[in-house]
Amino acid sequence: MNTEGAFLPDIVAFCCAHSAYPAADSAGYLRIPYPENIRVIRVPCAGRVDVLHILKAFEKGADGILVLGCHEEACRHISGNIRAKSRVQKANTLLEESGIDGERVEMLTLAQNQGPKFAQIASEMNERIKGLGPSPVKPRV
Amino acid sequence: MADNGFEVYLVEKEPTIGGYAASFCCKATETCSKCSVCLVPEKMLEVAANPQISLLVNSELVGISGEVCDFSVELVQKPTFVDPERCIACGICTESCPSEPSKGIYLPAPAAVPRTYIIDKNQCLRFKGAKCNICRDMCPTGAVDFEQKPKKRRLKVSAVIVATGFDAFDARQKGLLGYGRYPNVLTGLDLERRFNAEGSISLPSNGKAPQNVAFIQCVGSRDEYIGNGYCSQVCCKYAMRFARLLQYQNPEARVTIFYIDLQTAGKGFGEFYEKCKGAIRFVHGVPVEVSEISPDELEVRYEDPVEGKVAKETHDLVVLSVGITPRKDSWDLAKVLGINLGDYGFFDTQDPLDGTATNVEGIFLAGTCQGARDIPESIAHGVQAASRAIQTLTARGD
Amino acid sequence: MDNSLRLGVFLCDCGNTMSKTIDFSAIKAKLERLDDIEYVAISHDLCLIKAQEAMQKDIRDRGINRVVVAACSPELHEHTFMNVLQRAGVNPHLLSMANIREQCFWTHPHKEKAAEKAMVQIVLAINRARLLEPVEKAEIPVNQDVLIVGGGIVGTEAAIELSHLNLKTTLIEKEAALGGKLNLFASLYPLQITPEEVLASKLKQVTESPNIDVLTSAELIDVRGQAGNFVARIKRGDEEFVRNFGAVILATGYDAQFASQLYGFETSTSIVTLSQLEEMLKSPAEIKKIPRNVGFITDVSDEHSRISTLSALRNALGVKEKFGSEVCILCKNLKVDGAGLEKLYHDCRNRGVIFLKFDKPPKISEEDGEIHIQVEDVLMPGEQMALSCDLLVVEEMVIPPSDSETLRSILDIGLDPQGFYQDNNIHLYPTFSNREGIFFAGNCHADLDLIRALTEASNVALSAYRLLAQGRVTIEAENVMIDPSKCRFCLTCIRACPHNAIREVQVDHEKRVAQIVDLACQGCGICTAVCPAKAIRFKDWSDDQILAELELVGAYL
Repeated sequence: MNTEGAFLPDIVAFCCAHSAYPAADSAGYLRIPYPENIRVIRVPCAGRVDVLHILKAFEKGADGILVLGCHEEACRHISGNIRAKSRVQKANTLLEESGIDGERVEMLTLAQNQGPKFAQIASEMNERIKGLGPSPVKPRV
Repeated sequence: MADNGFEVYLVEKEPTIGGYAASFCCKATETCSKCSVCLVPEKMLEVAANPQISLLVNSELVGISGEVCDFSVELVQKPTFVDPERCIACGICTESCPSEPSKGIYLPAPAAVPRTYIIDKNQCLRFKGAKCNICRDMCPTGAVDFEQKPKKRRLKVSAVIVATGFDAFDARQKGLLGYGRYPNVLTGLDLERRFNAEGSISLPSNGKAPQNVAFIQCVGSRDEYIGNGYCSQVCCKYAMRFARLLQYQNPEARVTIFYIDLQTAGKGFGEFYEKCKGAIRFVHGVPVEVSEISPDELEVRYEDPVEGKVAKETHDLVVLSVGITPRKDSWDLAKVLGINLGDYGFFDTQDPLDGTATNVEGIFLAGTCQGARDIPESIAHGVQAASRAIQTLTARGD
Repeated sequence: MDNSLRLGVFLCDCGNTMSKTIDFSAIKAKLERLDDIEYVAISHDLCLIKAQEAMQKDIRDRGINRVVVAACSPELHEHTFMNVLQRAGVNPHLLSMANIREQCFWTHPHKEKAAEKAMVQIVLAINRARLLEPVEKAEIPVNQDVLIVGGGIVGTEAAIELSHLNLKTTLIEKEAALGGKLNLFASLYPLQITPEEVLASKLKQVTESPNIDVLTSAELIDVRGQAGNFVARIKRGDEEFVRNFGAVILATGYDAQFASQLYGFETSTSIVTLSQLEEMLKSPAEIKKIPRNVGFITDVSDEHSRISTLSALRNALGVKEKFGSEVCILCKNLKVDGAGLEKLYHDCRNRGVIFLKFDKPPKISEEDGEIHIQVEDVLMPGEQMALSCDLLVVEEMVIPPSDSETLRSILDIGLDPQGFYQDNNIHLYPTFSNREGIFFAGNCHADLDLIRALTEASNVALSAYRLLAQGRVTIEAENVMIDPSKCRFCLTCIRACPHNAIREVQVDHEKRVAQIVDLACQGCGICTAVCPAKAIRFKDWSDDQILAELELVGAYL
């Protein structure tokens, strides 16, 4: 929502408690600004995120979704990030079939001490979704 | 030790725990590089949350008496002029501090544990003679206390574990390599800190991304001539991880590693090496001199194994892979504790098979203060010291 | 909405720094209008003890049973506030936090937007709080005995350390004697102590300890159960018996194999492996002819093995001392990243050992008992050097012990691509398998020199101690729970669980369902996401909680 007329995307970021969530905190300590329209949801592992959550997020009005987990081969739970990646790919396919651009969902990896990277990811996603415009299934308020 | 029911006092000289490794950066590309640096902030927070562990920072051990199961240790805590029981790390003090270019009051590291601000007497205007009370007046909890004095503490403990860490080799000792003279000669440590703060590296001379990087291995290690006749164990690995990271961020960049023997042992590292072998130029032979052609160009002089004669080549960034050396204050601590220094100035162990026992029963060693090792092995060594300490105390019914 | 919910919302403005931007009083007013919000308080320093004591009192006095804290990051203070709840008599899992400092105020310089976002974060935390469930702790009694498979130096050391920690161990070894590889070593350079001395000392400690039961010529056949309560079947000769253990440690070492197909020849009287050379060094009296020139070759079959380099250096020095021969070592890279290894290398050089580094593997041929080597020295590229020796010592590849696959399937743990035991996460938990209560130490999972291997022995001893010392383990009971009425026993969760924490359970004579093993569960939630019947509920991170956090996307209050 915005009052200025320009489109401000609503972006949801599912952040793994071992990597992305502390990285977002790290961006905070370093006072690195990133767009306010990023909503962080903490999960115990990227593998907790279900395709259901991604689709529901779009239903509820998200324009873009990030699933952020540990780097490949660094998952505390061995396969959580791999599963998350394949689920995001599945979500991509389902979205394309429904006429929603698959680029609206992406899985990326980072480590807990990568504050600058979190901010970079958030900003880049914001720009990308701005370019794509509001999600076609976004409820009208 | 805390997990096994013991109460632990964690004494740290600096204002925050974590040591060197807390300032290191993540070296992942699209996969994790297994550098283990991300373990450190996690462990720091675990320690902070553990009710059995008391953190005593800004503290040094100055005296010890007694014996195992009944030591009496004397600590001195330096004043930081901020009360840790009141500081909430809100940051108002730093924001309001008028000192330029560096603040007189700050958090010692973004993720410091304990999360308490400190006043640096060398940078604080008030301690340099000015009339300034701004931070004290702005602090919402009244945590600033200019009258804070050094505090003496006496603790009764059953055992002592020494885990004071290392110092990185001072590359200025190898004057011909140009560290400290040429801005584009950095050490591995510099790289860690720059990546951590900025997420990438730029040439100090002109701020551009480096295109042609040289790593020089074994700077200060495997060098009997300067008294460091051992392999520091971490440098080949960190150089290769950095090399791969640099190329991931800038695929056009060329990276050369000058080496004596590549240390590629260790679980999973062989595969890592095989993956980056093709993209990195490895040169068998370590350069003796680095000089500046222009502010943005360095010349590296080495013996070319292919031609069999002295060769020169230019690079824009030269990284000196400095190794692990004993801390300069080891000597003082050794004297206070009554333990010995051994090979190369590291703390000495009694039993070559057990790197944790000292000549004093009840005093154990953990980590790089006993010898060079990487992060996971330092952690393992720490666990070993805890195991030995518990065994000793169990045997004595403590 | 559950009418018995009484929410307490505690807002912290971090020393008034955030109240310049965020109007906490306005937020408080808005929240107090909601039905189930019992109490809203504004504090300046919730991280300080005094404020926590006040919070504790408020919770008790007002009968609050769900707590929302809007302040700094849960990474920093979740445990602090969980303790407050505990002391106030409320289950610590009934806490929900809104991170309005690190993830809002500190990174969003646009003040209005930051304030809007903070409000949203607080409302979502309240939504979540309404759906939280208590999780109780439970105690499981555990068996305090430890099974150690492998009676080499590492297994033996682990047994000794556990004995000092007052735990009983059963040490099983498939050979007739303890000692493993150390029985075969001729020296332990760079250490000055001999393998015989080390073994004698360790064996003495083992036999003198009342806590260690040694079973030689014994094998592990089967293991059932979970951490704290393993049931192991052991075979010794014709006898088979069952014993109970709380933890299992694997210390089965490694095997050494000469890659004859890679080299293109077999061993002979003039070409021996490092192991065969060590046999010769251990009994020099039996050698018919002392070799005049000994060549060592490493880094052809495996250039990343530390043991290989170490073995070559150690035995080169041994050859110098026992036979006085000329010695030359051909290698690619000397792995000296271990205590004393650089010095060992220098000792070899000082004794006259010649080192030759190659890039391309040398060509080797044998003629009349003389070995001829053609190699390109990296320091003299383009030129082929010709060497000859009467004894060539070839490296051996370090391979997993022959029983790895058997033990792997008995214990249901993983192997890495080379066939060694797979660490849970090689830098986080190198001595842990993916199953709680099963550990490994030594060369059965990694390429280690003796000092590192002994450090691992200490580590696994302490890990087992930590698990078992109290005689009982406190766990979170049923934080993750499978509803047996919905479970179709499709086995998906059992296959998906990375920690082997789900087992099958017989409900009645027809139905089998999956059940979470609380002790082994590490709370990742993968099973919860993967169950096709949505039969799994994760109390701390349930689907409805996550969906509740997705409300208000696109609309602010």
